[in-house]
Amino acid sequence: MPWYLYLALKQLFPTGRRFPFFTAISVLSVALGVALLVVVLGVMGGFGYQIRRMIVDTEGEIQIKARGLVADSRSVVKRVEAVPGVAGASPYAAGILMVQYQNKPAFPQMRGLDMASVERVVPLGKFVTAGSLDALDDDSVILSEGLAESLGVPIGGTLEIYTPLMLARKDLEVILPHSVRVVGVLRIGHQQLDSSTVYCTLRLAQDLYGLARDVHGLNVRLKPGANEDEVAARINAVLPPNIRAFSWMDSFADFLWILQLEKNMMMFVLLFVVLVAAFLTMSLLLVLVLKKTREIGLLGALGASRRQIALCFCLQGVGVGVVGTAAGLALGFTVLHFRNDLVHAITRLTGGQELLARFYQFSELPEHTEPRDLLVIVVAALVLSTLAGIIPAVMAGRLKPVEALRSE
Amino acid sequence: MSDAVLSARGLVKSFPSGDRRLEVLRGVDFEVGAGETVSIRGESGSGKSTLLHLLAGLDTPDAGTVAWSGSPDTGAARRATYLGFVFQSFYLIPELDALQNVLMAARILRPPGAADLARAKDLLSRVGLAERQRHLPAHLSGGERQRVAVARALMNSPRLLLADEPTGNLDEQTGAAIIDLLLGLSAETKTALVLVTHNLAHASRCTRQLRLHLGRFE
Ligand SMILES: Nc1ncnc2c1ncn2[C@@H]1O[C@H](COP(=O)(O)OP(=O)(O)OP(=O)(O)O)[C@@H](O)[C@H]1O
Ligand SMILES: [Mg+2]
Repeated sequence: MPWYLYLALKQLFPTGRRFPFFTAISVLSVALGVALLVVVLGVMGGFGYQIRRMIVDTEGEIQIKARGLVADSRSVVKRVEAVPGVAGASPYAAGILMVQYQNKPAFPQMRGLDMASVERVVPLGKFVTAGSLDALDDDSVILSEGLAESLGVPIGGTLEIYTPLMLARKDLEVILPHSVRVVGVLRIGHQQLDSSTVYCTLRLAQDLYGLARDVHGLNVRLKPGANEDEVAARINAVLPPNIRAFSWMDSFADFLWILQLEKNMMMFVLLFVVLVAAFLTMSLLLVLVLKKTREIGLLGALGASRRQIALCFCLQGVGVGVVGTAAGLALGFTVLHFRNDLVHAITRLTGGQELLARFYQFSELPEHTEPRDLLVIVVAALVLSTLAGIIPAVMAGRLKPVEALRSE
Repeated sequence: MSDAVLSARGLVKSFPSGDRRLEVLRGVDFEVGAGETVSIRGESGSGKSTLLHLLAGLDTPDAGTVAWSGSPDTGAARRATYLGFVFQSFYLIPELDALQNVLMAARILRPPGAADLARAKDLLSRVGLAERQRHLPAHLSGGERQRVAVARALMNSPRLLLADEPTGNLDEQTGAAIIDLLLGLSAETKTALVLVTHNLAHASRCTRQLRLHLGRFE
């Protein structure tokens, strides 16, 4: 071990003594910054991950859409399911309805599902909380939990449905609604979907929208391990040019971009905490250089070069960075591990557990740490700490041994 | 060229002082032979420390030359093995124990091996601190710290030892013991010694005595 590394380590962590003040303060500040980044980005990544899972769970990994409508969906399904990597495909029709239960109206999303194939793509059965999926026929619907609750409609109750198509039929003076039975309630676990969606058979949706046998698109489930983009390209190769397959990342590109942007902004802002920690390290190191001026002179007299003396102080910045980053990672992951206990403790103190669930769509804090984010955090903390060591190092290296020895 | 351990010719050094220059050294010629011990006395401010710094290559003269064994290379790398230093203040590194402070002189040249460790221990016992190797400077007395500094100065078997008022911070008795140690060890190891001191008794124990006055040796 070269002497400057040895001395740097000894000054940071002297044997047989307590942590020196300098080391404790600067390591702690870097650690806090790193921990904050790990926790915040972990939770934000968790939200993103949760949303991704929800999209994939309800829409499949690949969405097939047409310019206009998809005609002859049966043959499209056949062709898509023949593509390697595809586990199943299911056509759907979607739109907006007005529903009414005992004069209480609502304007939910509608999703018409092909009951023969939907379970191959979306594990709908596991989301049903009341009633049953099997009872769904062309005269019944399943409601999302929030909608069923706000309308106050029980299982077996009758809903009236109006579609935009009915408004277009000017020949009728009185618009006659379509009556359906409610046979089930469904909860996916995402606030937006759960608040206001009507699920019905594809045939009913086609009737309501006057689609005949056409559909709006297909959802495709992949075999585990298949790559979305590759399979999407393969599907596109076998489909006519007016029907296109998009991976969920392409379909939701704007949304994912916003999520990524939010996370990047957060990282950018929180990196300033690490920057401030680096400034603290730098000023403490500057004080150290002043305190050790005469020793620096002595090292020069002993034959140490200026570059080595500078390195000795720069390495102390690096040491603070390495130890602070390690401690910060440990602290950050510990907090992430106990995040729900912490949130529960806080909400118990302040109240508002339901509010949290309502506005953040999840009652438990999700967590997902991207290796890429972790790498950026670690590299940034190390680089900033090293930079923090450079100015004191240059100052120490500039000291002339004679002046350093003369300083009293 | 002389084969003296140290030779200096016509050293001139001045420092800026207000808008004038303070001429500290005005042409000093100086030579130290192998194993010789030389004492330098002089009033405070007469330029003794300045002269030592020039001789050690820590500072550059305005005019004149310094050579070690006839070679003008007085750079940091050569200094580490050629010169040993003892100062009035001990300049021990507070984070390191006595043994590691002594070893530091070797460490600057190379990662220390078993031989270096043995030598450092040997030197510490020769200055009478065999039992104090693991003590930090803060737990040593002034005299003990100066002994550590002496051991450190001898660590790399230098040809020449420069001592700048090594007893300045010590009481009479402790100071005398340090001088005994310096003279004894330099004789034993055949290391030349330049001793700057105010103490006439200490100075007179050297083989040659010089006095710096008005920028020249008298
Ligand atoms: N860097 C400097 N700038 C200005 N003046 C200096 C500088 N270094 C030394 N001097 C001056 O040079 C003169 C000689 O200083 P030096 O330290 O060599 O004296 P000294 O003989 O060692 O004195 P002492 O016995 O008190 O240690 C002093 O007057 C001092 O003020
Ligand atoms: Mg002096």
